[in-house]
Amino acid sequence: METILAYSIIGGILFGFFYALLGLGLNLVFGVLKMVNLAHGDFVMLGAYGAYVAYSTSHINPLITILVEIVAFGIVGMALYYGIVPRLLKSHDPEMLSLILFFGVSQAIEALATFAFGQNTQTMNPNVFGNHPLVIFGQQFQTAWWVSVLVSAVALALLYLFLYRSKLGRATRAVMGNREETAASGINVNRVSTIAFGIGLALAGIAGALTPFMLGGIYTTMGVGITVTSFAIIVIGALGNPLGTIIGGIVYGVAQFLMQSYLPSWSAMAPFVLLLIILLVRPGGILGKGARYA
Amino acid sequence: MSESVLDVRQVVKKFGGFRALDGVSLSIRPGEILALVGPNGSGKTTCINVVSGLYPADEGEVLFQGQRINGLSMSSLARLGINRTFQIPKPFKALTVEENVDVALRNIHPATPLVDDPLAFVGMDHVRDRMASTLNSGQQKLLDLARALAGAPKLLLVDELAAGMNPAELRQLAGKLRELASRGVALLVVEHLMGFVNQLAERVIVMNAGREIFEGSLAAAAKDATVVEVYLGG
Amino acid sequence: MLKRLGSMGLPLVVLVLIFAVGPYTVFNNPATLFEMMAFLALAQGINVLYGFTGYLPFGYVGFFGAGAYGASVVVLKLHFPILLAILAGGVIAVLISVILLPMLRLSGAYFAIGSLAAAEIVYNVVANPNLQSVTNGPYGINLAPVFNATLSYWLMLVLVLVAVTFVIWLRHSSFGFSLLALRDDPVSAGMAGVNIVRTRTLAWLASAFIAGLAGAIYAWHISVFYPGTMFDLNISIFAIVFTLFGGRATVWGPIIGTVVLYGLYNWIGFSTPQYFQLVYGLLIVGLVLFLPNGVMSLIGRRRKSRHAERKGAVMNV
Repeated sequence: METILAYSIIGGILFGFFYALLGLGLNLVFGVLKMVNLAHGDFVMLGAYGAYVAYSTSHINPLITILVEIVAFGIVGMALYYGIVPRLLKSHDPEMLSLILFFGVSQAIEALATFAFGQNTQTMNPNVFGNHPLVIFGQQFQTAWWVSVLVSAVALALLYLFLYRSKLGRATRAVMGNREETAASGINVNRVSTIAFGIGLALAGIAGALTPFMLGGIYTTMGVGITVTSFAIIVIGALGNPLGTIIGGIVYGVAQFLMQSYLPSWSAMAPFVLLLIILLVRPGGILGKGARYA
Repeated sequence: MSESVLDVRQVVKKFGGFRALDGVSLSIRPGEILALVGPNGSGKTTCINVVSGLYPADEGEVLFQGQRINGLSMSSLARLGINRTFQIPKPFKALTVEENVDVALRNIHPATPLVDDPLAFVGMDHVRDRMASTLNSGQQKLLDLARALAGAPKLLLVDELAAGMNPAELRQLAGKLRELASRGVALLVVEHLMGFVNQLAERVIVMNAGREIFEGSLAAAAKDATVVEVYLGG
Repeated sequence: MLKRLGSMGLPLVVLVLIFAVGPYTVFNNPATLFEMMAFLALAQGINVLYGFTGYLPFGYVGFFGAGAYGASVVVLKLHFPILLAILAGGVIAVLISVILLPMLRLSGAYFAIGSLAAAEIVYNVVANPNLQSVTNGPYGINLAPVFNATLSYWLMLVLVLVAVTFVIWLRHSSFGFSLLALRDDPVSAGMAGVNIVRTRTLAWLASAFIAGLAGAIYAWHISVFYPGTMFDLNISIFAIVFTLFGGRATVWGPIIGTVVLYGLYNWIGFSTPQYFQLVYGLLIVGLVLFLPNGVMSLIGRRRKSRHAERKGAVMNV
């Protein structure tokens, strides 16, 4: 009994780093643009297939794929931003219209991915990184798993350094705080946003490459579910707050593990229940300001 | 015994730790025009927002015709006879100008109308059938006023109506507002433009940092040492 | 006055011509016509909510599925007569919408994604093996004992006509104006005496009722189905896209959107659903960027400018 509890909590916390990574890209884009990228989960899915295809065809180590994907997804993100976002921001209701637009992008990606990769669920060999299981408090965690956790933690640390230690990162946080005021103070908001969008997708790509090890089988229609999960994570933490996302990821991870251990047949709906409860009880998230009216 | 339309008693409104209203009291009689003036962030608009039910007071009481109205919704207050204009008006863009006013008429059903035709009263007769989305910002302000008048308010809260209008328009508008007062409407006016306040109100309350610092005529306010210090020394 | 009533009733006449006369004359394909009617009802339901209040319900399919399963359980377990069961399906959808009422406090993306989560929860409950004794869990429902393809077809037409009539009424009533006012600015609407909570709630319940009835009648018509059939997210998405394409907050918009896009879908006859998914994904992107107010905005704009020459503009109906 106690070992199950300990396992759930430790596993949940470690998994939380991955979940935080999943949410971070979405939160960065939301923070800068006040738009929810509903295609986020589909980019994660593409990242997953990238790692899968690279390994199954050429035995490329997923860690190498991640480096390639950071560059590729970053470029795609910046191009996507230039193609649609400035036009959207000029429309009469950017918030709602962006939601619908990115849903369209999501559907198109899902369809194209199904043409490219087929409808079957694919799994990846968990011994890609060798076989050196990690033992914590008597609990065994397999290699691919802790490597993914480690990569997630490193990505989070690098993003933290970028946001809080670099000039561009400080500008990014300023835009997240107040877009109009930042523009007035002479920061090139458009450039900051473009880069943030690129980083957002690059993070989706990293999370995607780790997905086969963390979430199991991958399939082309998994995007919508991942978007909802990511949204749940960032809402738990607080929308637009990158540090909150880490807390959100850990809370989500622990909740997910506890559900799987104690109520396995209901665990599939855990993300949705958690999201709805948080939205209704504390729409601003754990670190958020909360109150909203009218 | 209280013949006033509105009594605000020791109202406090906090935003986080910041006391936007720090124990404000005021009252207005029917037919009176009272102006709230003061520097930015002194709590003028917050005061109107609390009275009109946009947010609840944290402490204190708001009485309308002797009845406590704390916590009532905006629509209930509108039906009771409190209405307001907004600093940045947001007309119903999907509707025509006339339909904008109709929404208020049909939902509030005033027993006796305040003015026969709110749109004619504010001088918007000629744009009745235009879509509200096509109005310029001055017209949007007048439409906002017409929408408020359609509810036949006994207390009208006017938030920065004068901004962006030329002197001729201001004189005309001041005339309209005085006419409303002569029909018994109490007006609480928040205003930056002292020239406009001068044309309207016999009595002003000067606010600073969520408190009243002066009450009396505008001429007397201009001579008051505290007021002068707030405006010049701030 | 009569002329006005005539133009208001025109959509109803057109729909009766297509769906009542159609099967016996030009388009002899009742299955396609039935599906199209289901989407017409759903698109008008979305219109009531998204068009008139601005709440975008990605999870709208939750009400559809709840209606389908509600009606089925009432027929199979409680042995209600089918028409009563269909009404019960609508009522169950409304009950779920009552439970979800606090969601109306959420705005924009929060509401849209929250509604998606709510639909997934309903789906997960219905499909859960633990509830096999009630919903038959993931193993699906068979309504063969009460199956009636003809009657269910006509009932769906009745629902479509009722939904369209409701939207026509919204376009011309104080209540509809209040909803549009509320959508444009809740604070000003409150000061115009619109009871914000009550008005939104009624629109929400009405749109849930339409979806619940549509799901119930749909279930009756196809009679064998699984949870995945009835809670397919694409159902929400189709209805939203059809509404958006035609033009929200209009009577004709959702009709034109559904007939044109769903008609096109069947006419081209996509062999793999992904082709259609790709096409409508790109269509959504194009719509938002180039025609955010739908096809009706083109017609409305032209009519407005024509009228403006004589006597100001009119609303596009």
